[in-house]
Amino acid sequence: MLQAVMTIPMTGHDTSAEDRRMAAACAAGDAKIFEELYRRFGDRMKSIAWNHLGNAADAEDAVQETFLKIHRAAATYSGEASFSTWAYRILVNTCYDVLRKRKRRIEETSMEDDEGMTIERPTSSVDDAKRMTLRKLLDELPEQRRTVFSLFEIEGLSHAEIGQILGISEGNSKWILFSTKKELQEKWNRTRSS
Amino acid sequence: MNINCSNLDDLLFDASPLSMRTAAEHAAACAACAEKLEAWNDISATAKSMQTAWQNDLLWPRIERALAKEIAEGKRRTPLRGFSRIAAVALLTIGLGSTMWFTMREQVRGAKFNGKIYQNSAMDEVEKAERDHVRAIANLQKFADAKLENTESPLMVSYKEKLMLLDDAIAECQVNIDRNRQNAHIREQLLAMYSEKQQTLKDVLREDPNVSNQ
Ligand SMILES: [Zn+2]
Repeated sequence: MLQAVMTIPMTGHDTSAEDRRMAAACAAGDAKIFEELYRRFGDRMKSIAWNHLGNAADAEDAVQETFLKIHRAAATYSGEASFSTWAYRILVNTCYDVLRKRKRRIEETSMEDDEGMTIERPTSSVDDAKRMTLRKLLDELPEQRRTVFSLFEIEGLSHAEIGQILGISEGNSKWILFSTKKELQEKWNRTRSS
Repeated sequence: MNINCSNLDDLLFDASPLSMRTAAEHAAACAACAEKLEAWNDISATAKSMQTAWQNDLLWPRIERALAKEIAEGKRRTPLRGFSRIAAVALLTIGLGSTMWFTMREQVRGAKFNGKIYQNSAMDEVEKAERDHVRAIANLQKFADAKLENTESPLMVSYKEKLMLLDDAIAECQVNIDRNRQNAHIREQLLAMYSEKQQTLKDVLREDPNVSNQ
């Protein structure tokens, strides 16, 4: 008989009093707390949204929409995940909604998409052509795989956090990342040489 | 540590610094694995360079205005407010319920394949395949468990971890299948995980316990 080890996501998290205080303040519409949230998590939220939606304008709209949803839903925050993880979950779902409404695939990133914006990326030797290739390959993936890959490899979140954001176990997040990278690995050299 | 080409994926799955070092040492003397490892690392490096930042001083004031408007509208609401609020909270709770979201999304994705299952009565075959996997795994597990318990080699430790994670993922899949037996996409995932587990157990049994590991 198969011995299955069950891990229920989002349990056992020690939510701080700080997280609950933030949620209560957001529910009450405390402008200062929203500003603090934006200051602490805004950059990462923008990056997550950009990597799901492919341009700055849509990413900013998604971040704005997420703040409104945080205000509306803060009263339901149960402390099962940290407040930031909970906010990222709302953001990812908002990005999915945008993608569904848009009913088109993410266009390959072009400078026109972000006209007027100076996009900054970590200093590295990676060229634009590789980023374009990876973006194209990620675009072909199902939502969940793309999100697990983006959150882990691009944003540096842990599997525990990703599990909480997507409502899956930590182990499943690790498994999805591995199988996604395997798929990308198989296509990588082929796509790069074509 | 002595590894062969078939161990590369296990090391990449484990992804610990030791596993990555071991993979690199093997790749240094194996062109096929070197190519795979290079692509693997290239993908990670490219991903890391995709974290995106830009400055827009107008974004926060815009969000602040939208929030202020929404909060003000909330305060102006009529006596229905209490009920609306409860309804909205309930809807949001449902909307944010990740399990619901997961299941619904999987249902949409699997709908096409589901249709095929109904038409072809393929469900029986899927369930039979699952049962076959479970039986084969149980047989392999008896021998693999003893071997896994009696060694502390890094490779065996990484096999153990991989097997635990697979069990974890399989259990989660089974919970989702219990909720919706017709969900073809999750059943496909489950079959893939069973195959992977079977393969991993075979790899464990193939490993020579007397090989020096460090
Ligand atoms: Zn090799």
